[in-house]
Amino acid sequence: MAGSKPNQMHLKYESQIREPLVDGNKDYHQITEDIIRPIEAKPSKLWYIGFSISVALLLFGVYSVYRDVTYGIGQWNLNKTIGWGWDITNFVWWVGIGHAGTLISAILLLFRQGWRTGVNRAAEAMTIFAVMCAGQFPIFHMGRVWLAFFIFPYGNTRGPVWVNFDSPLLWDVFAISTYFTVSLLFWYSGLIPDLATVRDRAKTKFRKFFYGTLSFGWTGSTKHWQRHEALSLVLAGLATPLVLSVHTIVSFDFATSVIPGWHTTIFPPYFVAGAIFSGFAMVQTLLIVVRKVLNLQEYITLGHIEAMNKVIVLTGSIVGCAYLTELFMAWYSQNEYEAYAFFYSRANIFSPYGWAYWGMMFCNVVSPQVFWFRKLRRNVVFTFFMSVIVNIGMWFERFVIIVTSIYRDYLPSSWSYYYSPTIWEIGFYLGTFGLFFTCFFLFAKYFPTIAVAEIKYVLKTSGENYKERMDKVEEQKVEEFAHDYAH
Amino acid sequence: MALKRYVVGCFDDEEVLFPAVKKVRNAGYKIQDVYTPFPVHGLDHALGMRETSLHTAGFIYGILGTTTALAGMGWVFTKDWPMNIGGKPNFPLPALIPITFELTVLFSAVGMVMTFCYLCQLAPFVRKHHFHPRATDDLFVMAIECTDRTNVDDLKGFLQSAGAVEVNYQVAESGWWFGRYDVEPKLYREENPVIG
Amino acid sequence: MASNREQFEVSGNMKTWSIGLMGVGILAFIIGFITKGLSSDEHQQAIFWGTLLYNSIFFLLICNASMFFICVTTLAHGGWQVTFRRVPEAISAVVPIFGLIAIFILFFIVFGLNHGDHNLIYHWRIPGNDQIILKKTGFLNPPFFVIWTLLSIGLWSYLGMRMRKLSQESDETSMNPEQGNRWIVRNTVIAALFTVWFGLTVGSTTPWLWLMSIDTHWYSTMYSWYTFASSFVTGMALIALFVIYLKNKGYLEYTNDEHLHDIGKFMFAFSIFWTYLWFSQYMLIWYSNQPEETTYFQPRTKEGVWKGVYYLNLVINFLCPLLILMTKNSKRNYTVMAFMAVLIIFGHWMDFNQMVMASISRDHVTLGWLDFGIAALYVGMLIFFVGKALAKVPLIPKNHPFLKESIIHHT
Repeated sequence: MAGSKPNQMHLKYESQIREPLVDGNKDYHQITEDIIRPIEAKPSKLWYIGFSISVALLLFGVYSVYRDVTYGIGQWNLNKTIGWGWDITNFVWWVGIGHAGTLISAILLLFRQGWRTGVNRAAEAMTIFAVMCAGQFPIFHMGRVWLAFFIFPYGNTRGPVWVNFDSPLLWDVFAISTYFTVSLLFWYSGLIPDLATVRDRAKTKFRKFFYGTLSFGWTGSTKHWQRHEALSLVLAGLATPLVLSVHTIVSFDFATSVIPGWHTTIFPPYFVAGAIFSGFAMVQTLLIVVRKVLNLQEYITLGHIEAMNKVIVLTGSIVGCAYLTELFMAWYSQNEYEAYAFFYSRANIFSPYGWAYWGMMFCNVVSPQVFWFRKLRRNVVFTFFMSVIVNIGMWFERFVIIVTSIYRDYLPSSWSYYYSPTIWEIGFYLGTFGLFFTCFFLFAKYFPTIAVAEIKYVLKTSGENYKERMDKVEEQKVEEFAHDYAH
Repeated sequence: MALKRYVVGCFDDEEVLFPAVKKVRNAGYKIQDVYTPFPVHGLDHALGMRETSLHTAGFIYGILGTTTALAGMGWVFTKDWPMNIGGKPNFPLPALIPITFELTVLFSAVGMVMTFCYLCQLAPFVRKHHFHPRATDDLFVMAIECTDRTNVDDLKGFLQSAGAVEVNYQVAESGWWFGRYDVEPKLYREENPVIG
Repeated sequence: MASNREQFEVSGNMKTWSIGLMGVGILAFIIGFITKGLSSDEHQQAIFWGTLLYNSIFFLLICNASMFFICVTTLAHGGWQVTFRRVPEAISAVVPIFGLIAIFILFFIVFGLNHGDHNLIYHWRIPGNDQIILKKTGFLNPPFFVIWTLLSIGLWSYLGMRMRKLSQESDETSMNPEQGNRWIVRNTVIAALFTVWFGLTVGSTTPWLWLMSIDTHWYSTMYSWYTFASSFVTGMALIALFVIYLKNKGYLEYTNDEHLHDIGKFMFAFSIFWTYLWFSQYMLIWYSNQPEETTYFQPRTKEGVWKGVYYLNLVINFLCPLLILMTKNSKRNYTVMAFMAVLIIFGHWMDFNQMVMASISRDHVTLGWLDFGIAALYVGMLIFFVGKALAKVPLIPKNHPFLKESIIHHT
């Protein structure tokens, strides 16, 4: 640090007004104990039950996909007019959920929101699993899935035939695969030191081997930490625009077209806001369960839940602002096709999909407004309930955008019937839930769900027991304080 | 590989560690490294390490990605197989931006992580000498390399006076190996059990 | 710096500069008024009023962005900005003044520039037989314009004033953690109100009403968010500039390169964000290529005469911040930061210039002495009034509960 005295420790201080991030009387060792113990213990009954249900769902999904691949996507209730239905809705929904982890780690890091340390590891893991789920839908939507590699530009044997780099669908291929790769690297590079902690505590032979291999021989050397910090910071810097770009590009899938209700310039940032919104809701859903089951209430405190609820009300309102903007512009543009899409197909409660539009409005815009009240923000059960509502709402959003824009084609002869999914479409969706939760259960069992090293790093500034001892600093005169500690 | 001898001092508080590092360095000892359970800010400076230039590497990888993407797509669309897509020009820059951006990020991130692993010699199955198992838990472990002139007992005493809660002497092989983690290798032997 | 300079005093130099700039600006205004404003050529008149229009809106929005910055950092429980918080406060104190001027100019354009069958700038004012515009008059009509403009500026000023009052209140007595907490909650309430109102105005309706309606047929849902991004990044640059100035004069003893670094991050990040919105709006319209949408870009790209300004603005507002502000060292360097702040303010001023003027004068680039003259007038006023506001209260909110965090702030 330029200008700082090199050998002087920086004061560990934070205002007592702030809620502690780590409750209870903790020291470094206690943190290790609390977070790593669940990994070393036998999983609880609840874990087995949850895991079995997830695997069962996954197997049902696999069977549904098997039907789809064997008999073709005629197994689904898509038709010529509604060519994108549940599958692409689910794709966008899962990708959206897959935004919170990287957002928490990257953007909140840059905005220096200290509370992210408690939730980032699990959120990143969730991100990766959600992106895995999302990827299934476009891949199996292709129908002949064994030719899926055609989407990559490679020197092929079919003459100089290239993919169309102008197509937003191809941008998606690059965006999703890049996002998956970078999120994985970000998550895993953060995980390495914590895995080393598990390794060094390991008693059994298998665990020593397993975590020894996974932790890449991490020693905790100062030089390595220095590089690790630099790496995390740059990856965070890269992931920030990346996370924006991914949902932006997903929104381009719609917005570059000239379909009413899809072609609007606000789509990119509005999709991103929606993604953050649903992602945080999913993080709440998972973490409220995790903190209870793994006994981590002292690390994922009410303060954390409240902070995430604030993000939910913020992004929900941004999304609401975008909905109203769209609706307004549909009128303001005086474009009759836009007006039809918005005022006949969507905002009209009596139209075939009016219920979906108003359901979306209620779940995404109206209901999160309850989080303006501190009492409700800090109510765990209510938050859990709301997080589910939000995710239902965000599913409806994608469904509304996709289906209501295409079910009434320009020619009345190609107007489509009411579209409802087959059991195999639903099965596929449930299957991705199975995949998601199977992965998450495994993660929660075998990996530290909270970033151990990062919690240790903030302990002396934000730990409850340390904050209580800050009275002296808190009462010090500003001039003296600055004299003693300013760098 | 050569065997090296170390005197290892373990501290349980970073507030004790910092003055200790200063004292040890002032006394002229060479600190091999300090192993900590979490990144201790300012410790790299206290140890006199230089700044890492990993960012610069990341920037270069990124530029490489940008160039690859633009050159690749440009070549395909203008030289190899020009096509009229929606009446747009053969080199439709706005439409190429998303992929260019993605590849920039991808190259930069992958390149940096690989560089990081290479520099820190991190990989699966890598074996290293660990001076103390609690270095990843709650101890700050300082390893001082002994030269021919080092008086081990003096150094131990010195570390203890500087606040170390645990001091010992280890002989370790430098370098890194491939191997299985659970097999106990004879990489170091603890000559003196823990003092104090 | 050991001397305790808590109270800012407007230096003679600063006074001279601000009055000098205002003098130049008034001169330009008078000459412009005589040669263009009173000209018989309607086009010249439109250029004169258009120039006043975009300058007044630009400077109003960038000062208002300071209050937005204070409010969002308050909502996010930010601690790092406290040492220099009085600077954005002082900048936002200009909002009522610039607001009044903007109200005058906007209302004059709406009511005073109706020449027979058309208005020189806002075509919706007298729609004639244009069926599309006629249907838009539910939104674009003088009563709504007046009410919404007054409400927007009035509430920005009022809520901003409440925030500043609250901040000054804290100077009186020191607070223990409980009192501090209560004070923070009171801040949060007003900050939330301001932010919501900001979203309803700057984030949506106001830019449509004031700026987008100049191209009355054209529409873009992104427009307001784009305007917001542009004004916010400029607002950050303005804060940076004043912080650097005060620092150079030996004030703000607790603010150091750590804080400057974070301001620099904001400038960097929001430059990228602005570019992102720029690209999204441009690319989507370019890609789908519909005449009613591309009309906006015709004077600005390809064969348009505004092409140079349009792309230069992209270079200044995207490439320069991207390349120059990327490294840690440049964000901690006072000279580089001052240079970049000036560049960003200039770049986005030019952006506003093309947003308004390319629509008023599609065939001629109007960027010239009048633009710089009016800008000088505004810069002069900005320095003058911000200087006055800075001198009114202590520069450091010494009882702010997060001040100590801010003092030891570390990037």
